[in-house]
Amino acid sequence: MKVRIVSATAAALLALGGLHPPVQGQGFKPARTVEAVVHTGPGGGSDVLARAVALMMEKEKLLPVRMQVVNKPGGNGAVAAAYLAEKKGDHNTIGFFTGVWLNNPLTSAEAKVTLRDLTPVARLVLEPAVIAVKADAPYKSLPDFIAAAKKSPGQLKQSGGSVTSRDNIVRQLLQKSTGAQWAYISFPGGGERIAALLGGHVNMMVIEPAEAGEHIRAGNMRVLAQVADKRLPGFPNVPTLKEAGFDIPAVPQVRGVVAPPAIPKENVAYWEEVFHKLTKTASWQKFLADNQFEDGYQNAAELTKFYDEFTGRMRGILQEAGVKLVR
Amino acid sequence: MKARNADLWSGLALAFLAACIIVQASRWDYAGPDGPGAGFFPLWYGIAMLVLSAVLVASSLLRAQPEAVDWRGAGRAAAISAALAVAVVLFKLAGFAIGFAALAFFIVWAMYRRPWPLAAAVAVGLAGGFYVLFPLLLGVNLP
Amino acid sequence: MDVLSGLMHGFAVALQPANLLWCFVGVVLGTVVGVMPGLGPPATIAMLLPLTFLMNPAGAMIMLAGIYYGAKYGGSTTSILLNVPGESASVVTCLDGYAMARKGRAGAALGIAAIASFVAGTVGVVGLMLVAPPLAKVALAFSAPEYFSLMALGLAMVVLLAGRSMLKALLAMLVGLWIAGIGTDPFSTTSRFTFGRLELLSGIDFVVVAIGVFALGEVLACMESRAEGHALPVPKGLRNLLPTLQDLKDCRFAFVQGSVLGFLIGVLPGAGSTIASFISYGVEKAASRRPEEFGKGAVEGVAAPEGANNSETGGALVPLLTLGIPGSGTTAVLLAALVLWGFKPGPLFISENPNLFWGLVASMYIGNVMLLVLNLPLVPLFAQVLRTPGYVLYPVIIGISIVGVYSVSGSLFDVSLVVAFGVLGYLMRKLDYPAAPLILGLVLGGGMERALRQSLMMSQGDLAILATRPISAAMLGLAALILLVPLFNKLNAWRLQALE
Repeated sequence: MKVRIVSATAAALLALGGLHPPVQGQGFKPARTVEAVVHTGPGGGSDVLARAVALMMEKEKLLPVRMQVVNKPGGNGAVAAAYLAEKKGDHNTIGFFTGVWLNNPLTSAEAKVTLRDLTPVARLVLEPAVIAVKADAPYKSLPDFIAAAKKSPGQLKQSGGSVTSRDNIVRQLLQKSTGAQWAYISFPGGGERIAALLGGHVNMMVIEPAEAGEHIRAGNMRVLAQVADKRLPGFPNVPTLKEAGFDIPAVPQVRGVVAPPAIPKENVAYWEEVFHKLTKTASWQKFLADNQFEDGYQNAAELTKFYDEFTGRMRGILQEAGVKLVR
Repeated sequence: MKARNADLWSGLALAFLAACIIVQASRWDYAGPDGPGAGFFPLWYGIAMLVLSAVLVASSLLRAQPEAVDWRGAGRAAAISAALAVAVVLFKLAGFAIGFAALAFFIVWAMYRRPWPLAAAVAVGLAGGFYVLFPLLLGVNLP
Repeated sequence: MDVLSGLMHGFAVALQPANLLWCFVGVVLGTVVGVMPGLGPPATIAMLLPLTFLMNPAGAMIMLAGIYYGAKYGGSTTSILLNVPGESASVVTCLDGYAMARKGRAGAALGIAAIASFVAGTVGVVGLMLVAPPLAKVALAFSAPEYFSLMALGLAMVVLLAGRSMLKALLAMLVGLWIAGIGTDPFSTTSRFTFGRLELLSGIDFVVVAIGVFALGEVLACMESRAEGHALPVPKGLRNLLPTLQDLKDCRFAFVQGSVLGFLIGVLPGAGSTIASFISYGVEKAASRRPEEFGKGAVEGVAAPEGANNSETGGALVPLLTLGIPGSGTTAVLLAALVLWGFKPGPLFISENPNLFWGLVASMYIGNVMLLVLNLPLVPLFAQVLRTPGYVLYPVIIGISIVGVYSVSGSLFDVSLVVAFGVLGYLMRKLDYPAAPLILGLVLGGGMERALRQSLMMSQGDLAILATRPISAAMLGLAALILLVPLFNKLNAWRLQALE
């Protein structure tokens, strides 16, 4: 009996030992498979981005090791952020963050980990958006919609994500600057929001151009304006918010990379370099074009500044929208 | 414990839960600027729960013949539950294989009164089997 | 491209040896994944994505779809044999399936599940093929009020699941609603009932509750007695190893109703196979001549939900392929896969990619046949699992449950939760609280609250919106009718008594 236990343990130890490759040479380089933490389940936005990045890293040989996506869904990013915070000093873990990681700690008491508590590495993309209506709607431009909303306050409806999502932020800013008012209905899933618009249950939505693309091509949707600083290549004839006469900032949806706390500066520089190289590759450019993202690369220092600015602005906007802040 | 008592206690427990729900729900917004708030739904099902559990308590007090609930085996079930809880702690401290082996051993030896070599064999065999099947073959992580 | 020529074309694609191989791999993998509680198609498909880049898109899609509907076949196996729901949709199968196993008819249950799945899966594919685009347009007419009424209809089914005490069933359902509400409120971002714990921010996963209450609860209950020997009677004789002709005859209605309902409910984005299987079970019980048998081992009680959750896969592919809108977790991953491969799912997808679409449809026919051939002969083999002595079987069940739950979220907190729910399940058994309404409340609670709030937002606070929209009103009417069924039965009983 004892022999069995000992040999089983020995076998187990040997198996475990075999899983660790020898440590790499000088300077910082990841020594084993890099864990890329995302806050969505498989198929979600961050998950898809992380997998695409992992594929590109392999194709362009930017990393000496593999990158593996680890899903830590829950709490709108809070679980993933907390997981990263626990991995203090771990060289082989990074995380992909989105705007939700920045906003969530402001409104949710349990989401204690902010981007500042972790180590910002780089900002990668800015996701623009477009304002779309059903193709047979009477609004040909954004001023049309605003005028209609002013005539019947609270009657028109917009579908979107939660009240802290970019969709609602854009609505709050527009409402404040024009004095118009319309209702907002949250649908947790992107598919449901589109279904609500196409089914005629809501009048307007803010939607990412990649999601809208096919519906526009099929003639089901019409775009009124773009939430971007300059016109996207896919929408040369659609005015931006500023061009349409609305002086509000084009609120971006950001995505980037973050690392656990207490990482030496050398490692951060390494990651910055890797991601910088990534953004210069042809596959990245193609990825951006396919998804209609804007290249928003910023290194760690710039990202930190952006973070402070962004959250400061967000606090103001959310407070005006009547959302309770906890931080 | 007769069924009447069982119903009574479970009814009271549920009534207590319902009361907690209602108290919590009243702290949240009943209706926000854009529509019903976080407290809307919980308040209503909390009230429903309170009403129904009150009815349950009342009916159990009024019932003529109680049926017996057989609690004889409960001690064993409680022991297993405790063992499970200990196993979870072991998972955290020592990993799945060890925790599970301990649990399996306990079940076979203490619960079914089989001789301990058999228990140990089963424990190690199963733990090993899980280890081989899941992380190695299927790539699923064990706690 | 009209249907017949499309189908011919599709078979030409699907019957290529490479694609046949991928189909086989997919369905086998799907069955294995379905048997495992916790590990589900979305995670498996996501793990296989990098591999799919090495294959041609048609083959990859065929394989991934195979995993999707294959998992539905596999889910019934552990539900019937061990009362462990392998997949969230298999929970309903546990009710009568496990009861049949307890009576020694495990083989028949497994066989009926396989046959029902085959019939329904095929119906689902036919539906996808024939009515996809027009049905998608109808599905768009569904919005929040209709979803609320659909879920209210589902909840009304509780009266049919009640068993002896309606009161306890309702209370169980309310507790289920409460558990569904634990987490962050999606509209106002307030945290509800989270006790300040981070892990509860996104609520308690359905799998955790289902496995805890059903599987662990059952294990605890079985371990009460020191009786050894086999956990369940081993089926002997052909009558119990495979379904009999009488069984097949009894299930005629279930086959039809499960397939159609499952498909239709699957088409609605956001309504999934769990709701489909509950509603199908409820309808079957309501229409049955011997409703008291349900819950004790009625064959139709296995056939209806199993059929529904299989044809739901065909239905869920409708909004995905015709509109680019994912209707469930698995279709969301499939959507991501299509995007990663460079396709653009949307209204023009089918017309621009006929090879892929028709090849997929044809492969689904083939896949269903493969699954039937694979599963039926294996039934007597699976039934032998019951020979394992209790002291080995129960630890195995516990182990599978823990690994399954852990594989969903990787969190030990969930493992401790599943143990807690196991204790709850045990107590519920002892105190005669039925478990199915709890699960029903849990599954429908979140969606129902969301739909209600969305409806009220749409109507500026006017509840009448639920009654003024035709589809919504119809479903609410149906729900009201169902709620009257027990009353009707009581009246009938009085009438019969008075006549004596």
